[in-house]
Amino acid sequence: MATKAGLVWAALAVAGLFGAATFTTATPLPVWAQAAGPVTPVKVGVRRITETQYRHTIADVFGPDIKISARFEPEKREEGLLAVGSSQLSLTASGFEQYFALASSISEQALGEARRAETVGCTPKDTRKMDEACARQFVGSYGQQLFRRPLTEAETTARLKPASVGTQQSGDFYTGLQLALTSLLMDPDFIFRMETAEADPANPRTYRLDGYSKASRISYLLWDTTPDAELRAAASSGDIHTSAGLRKQLDRLVASPRFEDGARAFFTDMLQLDGFDNLIKDPATYPKFNQAVADSAKEQTLKTTIDLLVAKKRDYRDLFSSNETFINRYLASVYKVPYSSSNAWAPYTFPESSERAGILTQVSFLSLFAHPAGSSPTRRGVKVHEIFMCEPTPEPPADVDFSKVQDSAKGTVRGRLLDHMENTGCTACHRRSDPPGLALEHFDGLGQLRTMENGSRIDVSADLDGKKFEGAQGLAKYLRDDPKIPACLVRNVYAYGVGRPTDERDEDYIADQTAAFASSGYVLPSLMAQIASSPEFLKPVIPRLASPSAAKPL
Amino acid sequence: MRYSTGTAIAAFALAAAFPAAASAEWTKTWVIEWNEPAMYYGAKSGVIDPGTDCPKGTNPDIDWVQVMVNAGYTREEAAWLRNPANPTRSPVHGQNQMAFRGKDRANVYINPTSTPDPGLTPVSGTIGEGIDLDGNTKNGFTGLNGEKGIDNSFYRTLGCWKTYRGPQRLSSGALQFNDAMRNGSWTTVIVATGKGADPMNDKDVKVGFYMSADKIVKDGNGGVALDYTFRIKPDAKYEALYSARTQNGVIASTAPADVMLRDPSYSQDLDLLRSRISLKMKPDGSLQGYVGGYRAWAPVYKGWVDARGPVIEALTWVQLPGVYYALQRNADFSPTGTAGEKTHISYAMRVDALPAFVMTPDGGKQVTEITSYKASAPPPSKPSATTFSVIDGLVPDRNAKVQAGPTAVILPPTTAPTSAGQ
Amino acid sequence: MSLRFNRRSLMRGLLGGAGVCVGLPALDTFLNGNGTAYAEGAKLPTRFGTYFWGLGLTDTPTGGTRWVPKTTGAGYEITPELASLKSVKDKVSVFSGFRVIGDGRPNLVHWSGHASILTGIAPAGSTRFDGPTFDTKIADAIGGGTRFKVLDVDASVSRKPVSYSTRTGNSFATSETTPLALYERIFGEGFQDPNSDNWKPDPSILLRQSVLSAITEQRQSLMANVGKADQIKLDQYFTSLREMENQLEIGLQKPEKCEACVVPPPPKEPHRSASVDIVNANTKAMAKMLAMAMACNQTKVFNFVHTAGSSETYIAGDSKIYHQITHDEPTDAKLGYQPMTSKIAGMVMQAFGDFLVEMDAIKEGDGTLLDRSLIMGFSDTGYAKIHAIENIPMFLAGGANGKHKAGQHIAAKGESVTRVSLTAQQIVGAPVGEFGAGGMKTSRPITEVMA
Repeated sequence: MATKAGLVWAALAVAGLFGAATFTTATPLPVWAQAAGPVTPVKVGVRRITETQYRHTIADVFGPDIKISARFEPEKREEGLLAVGSSQLSLTASGFEQYFALASSISEQALGEARRAETVGCTPKDTRKMDEACARQFVGSYGQQLFRRPLTEAETTARLKPASVGTQQSGDFYTGLQLALTSLLMDPDFIFRMETAEADPANPRTYRLDGYSKASRISYLLWDTTPDAELRAAASSGDIHTSAGLRKQLDRLVASPRFEDGARAFFTDMLQLDGFDNLIKDPATYPKFNQAVADSAKEQTLKTTIDLLVAKKRDYRDLFSSNETFINRYLASVYKVPYSSSNAWAPYTFPESSERAGILTQVSFLSLFAHPAGSSPTRRGVKVHEIFMCEPTPEPPADVDFSKVQDSAKGTVRGRLLDHMENTGCTACHRRSDPPGLALEHFDGLGQLRTMENGSRIDVSADLDGKKFEGAQGLAKYLRDDPKIPACLVRNVYAYGVGRPTDERDEDYIADQTAAFASSGYVLPSLMAQIASSPEFLKPVIPRLASPSAAKPL
Repeated sequence: MRYSTGTAIAAFALAAAFPAAASAEWTKTWVIEWNEPAMYYGAKSGVIDPGTDCPKGTNPDIDWVQVMVNAGYTREEAAWLRNPANPTRSPVHGQNQMAFRGKDRANVYINPTSTPDPGLTPVSGTIGEGIDLDGNTKNGFTGLNGEKGIDNSFYRTLGCWKTYRGPQRLSSGALQFNDAMRNGSWTTVIVATGKGADPMNDKDVKVGFYMSADKIVKDGNGGVALDYTFRIKPDAKYEALYSARTQNGVIASTAPADVMLRDPSYSQDLDLLRSRISLKMKPDGSLQGYVGGYRAWAPVYKGWVDARGPVIEALTWVQLPGVYYALQRNADFSPTGTAGEKTHISYAMRVDALPAFVMTPDGGKQVTEITSYKASAPPPSKPSATTFSVIDGLVPDRNAKVQAGPTAVILPPTTAPTSAGQ
Repeated sequence: MSLRFNRRSLMRGLLGGAGVCVGLPALDTFLNGNGTAYAEGAKLPTRFGTYFWGLGLTDTPTGGTRWVPKTTGAGYEITPELASLKSVKDKVSVFSGFRVIGDGRPNLVHWSGHASILTGIAPAGSTRFDGPTFDTKIADAIGGGTRFKVLDVDASVSRKPVSYSTRTGNSFATSETTPLALYERIFGEGFQDPNSDNWKPDPSILLRQSVLSAITEQRQSLMANVGKADQIKLDQYFTSLREMENQLEIGLQKPEKCEACVVPPPPKEPHRSASVDIVNANTKAMAKMLAMAMACNQTKVFNFVHTAGSSETYIAGDSKIYHQITHDEPTDAKLGYQPMTSKIAGMVMQAFGDFLVEMDAIKEGDGTLLDRSLIMGFSDTGYAKIHAIENIPMFLAGGANGKHKAGQHIAAKGESVTRVSLTAQQIVGAPVGEFGAGGMKTSRPITEVMA
């Protein structure tokens, strides 16, 4: 633990990102908001929690055996991240019904006869009657875990009404509590993460994130769940506003095994592994693909990533070159190797002859970014640029003749794409997007090794920005040395945590953080703690306030 | 489709890594994806239609009312026994009273000779599939490629039974049991090793058939997926080891062996005496051919009885005593010598296998040698029990007031069968 | 603000401003699926039912079929065994090529098929299911507010009552097994005429209202000091909440006259026999009563069994039962299928067609009861001769209040049956995002049939 923390903070010291005296996360007031007195609190971020955040939170608050069955609202990817896209989403009417049914089911389970004694910290005087003191304690306790902050008196009182009505009507106190709990679970303060900025005591005319909002931001980044009691206590006491207090919490969170949940959630998002939820492969072309292979491929990439970057604290760039991974019986079949273990998963190292190198050559990336019945150098190339280098590719123009590219019975994809590139409208983008994909062409649309396509030998040489490389292993070397790779991870961690895309105002910050990342030896936990501790990460962006009519009655 | 040839390469690599193993030069491994009695089908289409194998078609549909009348029941009794509205006729287990049609209404399933031989249409064609087991080219069938002396009396006996008749992989009997295997009921793997440099032509080859507890996995088309890994599970009963040679990719026994395999049948046990193999390694990596030998026929008969006599008879158009007499008549081997009782009948199983990885029982290594694992096996378990208990070929209805039997009253008190009864 | 840009917005700009991104699917809020006004949809509830028959439909191992249409999508052709669906074809979607994926669990004959469809889990034993059946989830989601949460009906005249609905996997629902018993259950003692004057609102609605009002009370403080973009999000949240409040409000109002509700005369107790003519007559009589039970707002959910997995039905006068014939009848060499099996399959399907026609005969609003309902028809096997659990015939019938894009044929290549089950659950709005276990686990409904 000491060494872990040491590593994190050593990195920060090298970067010199903050000194004790200048530690501040305050934001000066925008001109339009400047007024004479101290600022009033402002909500600076309303983000719908994701499915995994919902699941982790419920498991933390009520226990991991609570069944969560619902259709979560679809999420949306922006700037490569669901965390950014979903922060723009609300709840549709049909989604509201789904969440309501889910909330009722969680309340029923949590307050069912089997576990109500454990769930409710107090015993009502008479289980057939309303016990206000006990109900109040229950609402207060679960309210602060779900809202990630203590409830106001009005918020608590509001929940006592359904508790009372429900108890009266049913003659059962716990039925009343169920209603109160359902109401908490349906509240926008639970379904959305609401971040609040308050006046900075050091300079009352500037804003800072309040303690609970900071705790929340940190906890969802590092653990993908609601702040635990200790973190809430640091928010409540104000410790979280001091550099020592913040550092103590970050050390604790990063050192915890639960950091893995946070890292998994982040990489699931960044690597776009949600794509497996609706991945389709043509069974005639790829008979080995089935649900078990899809689930296994996603898990392989997450296991590899977490093992390398979290457990072993290796250089992030090794993700592209390391051949250490994990496989199971299903994946062994796709990789065409024996599975020499009696366990569900086993460590495995791809031999040199496999032509594989790093996560780009795992089934997940290769099958996600391909066609149902074929590979796609363009899709793979576009995704290498987008996911790992933060370089989005524009959509193709609408009037392109794809017939040549799509006639997959002839020659190799490379040949067909070269024809396509004769079209000058396409060349500019394809010259950038395709090379990484062309280097991966020894892997078919499911990620199986091949050297021939339609009787022709597949050429996997590529040329990007004047640098030539050969095959997947050549691409791995190229990417490992490309400075855009770590910079892009920094950008993603930051955007993921703050829930908004980066823009040109963030460039200096990204550059500084990338330098610090480099000094740390490109160690992921250090990077995440370093970003979470940076003033910019905890700095509120004060929005233009809605007009007062926003609060008009319905 | 072209299957993997990667098994051999992987095995080579492994052999190099473990030079200490008293080892073969090459190892190839497969999983059986289909196995069925080798029943040559001589018609163009249809199951019951005439063909060169069965010129009059299959054993015909049976008039069960007449059978019962012949056994001494009144026509009225026989008709009522067959009426679906008769409460003693179980829609699941059939009409138990059908068993009691032997002399003195003995149960013909367990006493088949208590009734005269009702007959079973035999194969009368000359083409058959399998292996020459006795080295005598004068007896037996002519093979598909003109080879003489194919011994397969099992086929001669049962090849016109509609359960077993049909094009390859399409007879209902084969479909039923292979479906079960492919859905995970059992797994058999095949390992071949050789000491020569060329696996296709090698004088010193060993072949092992082993069980695996790892289930067959189906692919996206519902077929058996390629390249899965299976660990050998030592089995006290099911294991078959052969000495063989390869010639142009065909693995052929060099000596007979007494073996036991998991049979795709009701009886589950395929015990083969003087067993031989003839299996072709195909260019796509798959393996196809025959396992032959002399099998004990009494357990085979018992398999059908235990599968519920009334159900087998009604669904498959045979009288079980006829099957018994036919097996007895055509049995062609005695383990005690030519003068002994012919307890065994020549048999061949058609085998299709796909490339797979086969590991030692602990899962740690790919197998590289053929050896017996029987010594390390737990004692054999009883064949998996069905969900109902069969006694003498019948499932007694525990709730019935009257049980089937030699003395059962057949007709209800009011003779008119007006109610299905509850 | 407008001076700020990021690289993506720059790209968009260069491409001529295409691709306007609307974060909030606003239209969803104001219209229901088929664009009719929502008051109508809210007043006329969605009903759900399962319809099961035994022994599948006729296939051949060589790929021939008597039921799978050749064309996919809308306007599929009527195949011989689907003849009974002809008059309601545009309201029925056909699903072929779906299978049970047992992950090594054995095929328990006449059991694994429907157990997997209903629970998403290939069962370990043939006396129980390994989880609850999904109809119970749907009943929980939409079955409230009526006298019966669900009605279980068995028309098969089997030796024991048949039901495949279970909450535990162990104990199955108790079915009504005769038309008269079903009549007594619905219209006998305790029947609440929806058109009579002593109507009482569902007390649970008041409780749900109290849950929501505890939230709306905080709206004022919640909306204070919030940024413009966030205000839009919260506005939509409260619009959604308001919509739910509206629906609850409607539930508290005395319903309009159920015009179609006419209490039928009690049926005569028929001759008890499992022969197909009797079972089909039962089916028709019971369908009429079930339809009226829904029109009279007595239930919204039902489970109907025509014949059991190992069907006991037969053609009167024939000594072979249907089950036996599926197994013992050889494929006719010229026809390429089992002719008698196919004939009886057609008779069995006649009952399904009749059932749907009865649902379609009841007018409700601007459509029929069938238009408000979703009925999932399915069987236990595909090719019954060998107990195949591949290509199990499945159907979704009825418009589900505009949520089902009916009248299509969806041909899968060996995909899990649970995709159809999940689709049914999602169409009627059950809170289920994922269904099934192991190889049958899916979070992918068949969106082609979802409006």
